[in-house]
Amino acid sequence: MIERSLWLGGLLALPLSVALASRGNMPLERLRWFSFAAAATLFALSASAWLGWLGEGGEIPLVPELSVLGSTFGSAALRLDALSSFLVPLASALWLLTVAVTPRAMLDRAAIRRTAIATLLTTVTFLTANPVLLVALWIGSVVIYLAALSAPENRHARRVAARVLGVSCVALAAGVLLVEWPGAQGTAMEEAGVWLLVAAALIRKGIVPFHAWVPEVFDRGRLGPSVLFSAPQVGAYVTVVLLVPRAEPEVLRIVAILALVTAVYGAALALVQREARRACGYLFVSQSALVMAGLDSTSHEALTGSLVLWISSGVAFAGLARAVLVLEARRGRLDLAEHHGGYEQMPLLATSFLLMGLACTGFPGTLGFIGVELLVAGAVADLPVLGFFVVVAGALTGLAVLRMYFSLFCGRRDDAGHLELLRREALVFGAIAVFLVGTGLLPGPIVSFQSDVGEQLMNDRHPPAAP
Amino acid sequence: MIIEVSLRLSILVALLAPAALLLAFGLPALLGRPLRETSVGLLTRSAMLVSFAAQLTALALYLGGGGEPEVLSYGAWLGAHEGAFRFDFLVDGAALSFGALSTGICGVVSAFSVRYLHREPGFHRYFVLFAAFALGMTLVSLAGSVEVLFAGWELLGLSSALLVGFFHERRAPVVSALRVFAVYRASDAAMLAAAVLVHHWAGSGSLALVFSNELDGGATLDAGRATIIALLLLVAVAGKSALLPFSGWLPRAMEGPTPSSAVYYGSLSIHAGCFLLLRAAPLFEQSVPARVLTGLAGIATALYATSTARVQVDVKSSLAYASLTQVGIIVTEIALGLYTLAFLHLVGHACLRLLQFLSAPNVLHDLHELENAVLARESHAPIGLPSPRVPRAWYLVRLERGFVDELLDRVVVRPFSRAARLLDRADRVTCELLDRPAPGTARTMERGPADPGTS
Repeated sequence: MIERSLWLGGLLALPLSVALASRGNMPLERLRWFSFAAAATLFALSASAWLGWLGEGGEIPLVPELSVLGSTFGSAALRLDALSSFLVPLASALWLLTVAVTPRAMLDRAAIRRTAIATLLTTVTFLTANPVLLVALWIGSVVIYLAALSAPENRHARRVAARVLGVSCVALAAGVLLVEWPGAQGTAMEEAGVWLLVAAALIRKGIVPFHAWVPEVFDRGRLGPSVLFSAPQVGAYVTVVLLVPRAEPEVLRIVAILALVTAVYGAALALVQREARRACGYLFVSQSALVMAGLDSTSHEALTGSLVLWISSGVAFAGLARAVLVLEARRGRLDLAEHHGGYEQMPLLATSFLLMGLACTGFPGTLGFIGVELLVAGAVADLPVLGFFVVVAGALTGLAVLRMYFSLFCGRRDDAGHLELLRREALVFGAIAVFLVGTGLLPGPIVSFQSDVGEQLMNDRHPPAAP
Repeated sequence: MIIEVSLRLSILVALLAPAALLLAFGLPALLGRPLRETSVGLLTRSAMLVSFAAQLTALALYLGGGGEPEVLSYGAWLGAHEGAFRFDFLVDGAALSFGALSTGICGVVSAFSVRYLHREPGFHRYFVLFAAFALGMTLVSLAGSVEVLFAGWELLGLSSALLVGFFHERRAPVVSALRVFAVYRASDAAMLAAAVLVHHWAGSGSLALVFSNELDGGATLDAGRATIIALLLLVAVAGKSALLPFSGWLPRAMEGPTPSSAVYYGSLSIHAGCFLLLRAAPLFEQSVPARVLTGLAGIATALYATSTARVQVDVKSSLAYASLTQVGIIVTEIALGLYTLAFLHLVGHACLRLLQFLSAPNVLHDLHELENAVLARESHAPIGLPSPRVPRAWYLVRLERGFVDELLDRVVVRPFSRAARLLDRADRVTCELLDRPAPGTARTMERGPADPGTS
């Protein structure tokens, strides 16, 4: 128990200490190094969560039940289970990626503080299934994200995000209130609550018809904070812990169908974009929808596939978007109608960009292939036509990624300016490429683990209605 | 027992050799420390030789063991999902012969490429992609499960597109590469859709359903399901082998270096579709509509390609269309059920075109040398110019390669782009509406500075 408390304390203290240090007098360069060290330590610590869970299994309580207004809402405030044991390392990996490759000029005190607090909130979110806490953390993450868009040039994106995400906050809070209201179980009130939870999840994940804000904030807001806000897919987590156990299979099927339509839609629109950032936004919409489709499927295979995709697309997409940021730091805004060149100066970035993109498309030899294949097989077993949506989405995503690759790295060699990668950037992008290919070639442990997680989630589901 | 073990070992070696090559070239290139050219040449030749010898050994063992086709399973890729993602390889005469032919040709081309691309800036990139191609070709040749076939098929497509865009400093090769990849993606999607249906109806990823039209227990697919899978496979084959209406990418693919054109569009990749069709012949036999469509596609492609080849003005395009003519004929032979003839045709044609493509630069070089020596241009009338017997319009249609690319543009690309842009516009308008200030705050908002991104 003491070890668990120490582990949890470390997990929370690391981002918190960075946030506090950013308020103090620590020189900026030292603060950057401190945040990098904290992120690396957090990643190592959170990776041990996975090992810890493997050792103990089941649900490991970390903080006892939370009582709000006399109601405990029936679950421990913080706990470690199979799902959270792989999501917590994902959240810390995204923080590490952010502090490692964000250009120095953009990583000021406020940015360091925001990334640390955002990671803290995401980490705690993944450690709880308590509805009240989830609502609070959801709102907190939205507030931190909006704070990142406070500059005048991001005003449009901030207003769009504030209105859309504000609605999602209200929908989530109202949904939780209705489904958790004493005596609401099995009544129309619970049904209404479930639909509000659906709305909240769809908005946050950018599922059609609530998708338009995502490419807009990627393009006209700030790409870095948008990636950190979106890539962990908190909307998917809330779907798993709040929605899936309560919703009828028919509701989940509607969400799955909407998600698959979104996957095709996002990939198709990514293909015709001129702005690299907007293309990233649509790619995220497509990728996140694939994860959502599997989570709402009634097939265990599809569920396992989407859990694998959660890791694969989370890492691959975040890397892809960060690569765009690294290029923008050297060249300014990137127009996909032009060919920018630079392969010779940045072969590692070009190759890892291609590998990360291919992982998003489910190319053989990458972790994404396993996720997509399982998702397709499961979706077909569920409803054959749905499998073809995944196939089409994969084909279009592949095309969009190759178009981006050709535009960003091919063309006349540009010798002006410093294009070579810094050592830390090279290290991070190389590590992501190795991770995606390594786990793609030897996916056994990850798939086996995710299959167990999927089985556990299937057991927690709402039982199908009696005929 | 010894034969069985030796056969297993041979197949494993045949696969591991190109896989190791890909790793040996890919990893140092990723780390920015590529190998020396001499090492690259030596490693490529050695790997291809080992793989070729292993497949010949496997063929000898197979024939010596009675010649009974069998599926060799090397276990499941995913521990938790037994039955799915299996490393299964089909051992029969056609698979081993085509596999040996592929690695043999890859060996010849690799030896040629080392000299041809000497000191070329993209030398190492070429060999990484070449290793991916060799691995993909071996996987396609020996595939015994849907996943293995799909993995090989995708590797062929990606390496092909990236080699078309090999000279990526220029815009034209990159644009062509994207176009080639677009057709390949359509082909891959059809292949994956067929694979999904095979999985769904057969309950496993075994290719027995496609290659012998037999489910577990000896049952067969009904004609309707067989037709659906066969038609999807036909689309996959048409994309990969440039059958009509997908033929437009073939001349664009000639933007790549000559050795890659030789191995992809002269000898191997363009025949991968024919090989798949040949393997899936038992399935096509269950479906008359699919066979008729295959035959028609083959005849139409052969007629189109032969008439187009006659008016091409560069040697690579001319050879590419000549190849396509033969591919069309091979497809027709398969549709007619002449499988042995089709296979022999495929093997002979692959070798002949390889020779022609690889010798084309030398022939041109020799011709120029000769002309320089005699200080005069050899007089040879261009073939296929308009004559009183050939209508000018027909000549122009052939010169423009049947406007096949334009047709695809009009029917698929432009409507798709228009629809996608319209939806994008709708998304932007939605966000503008979301940004509309509330009535009471309109004045305050309008006073603020304009967003830089808005303009």
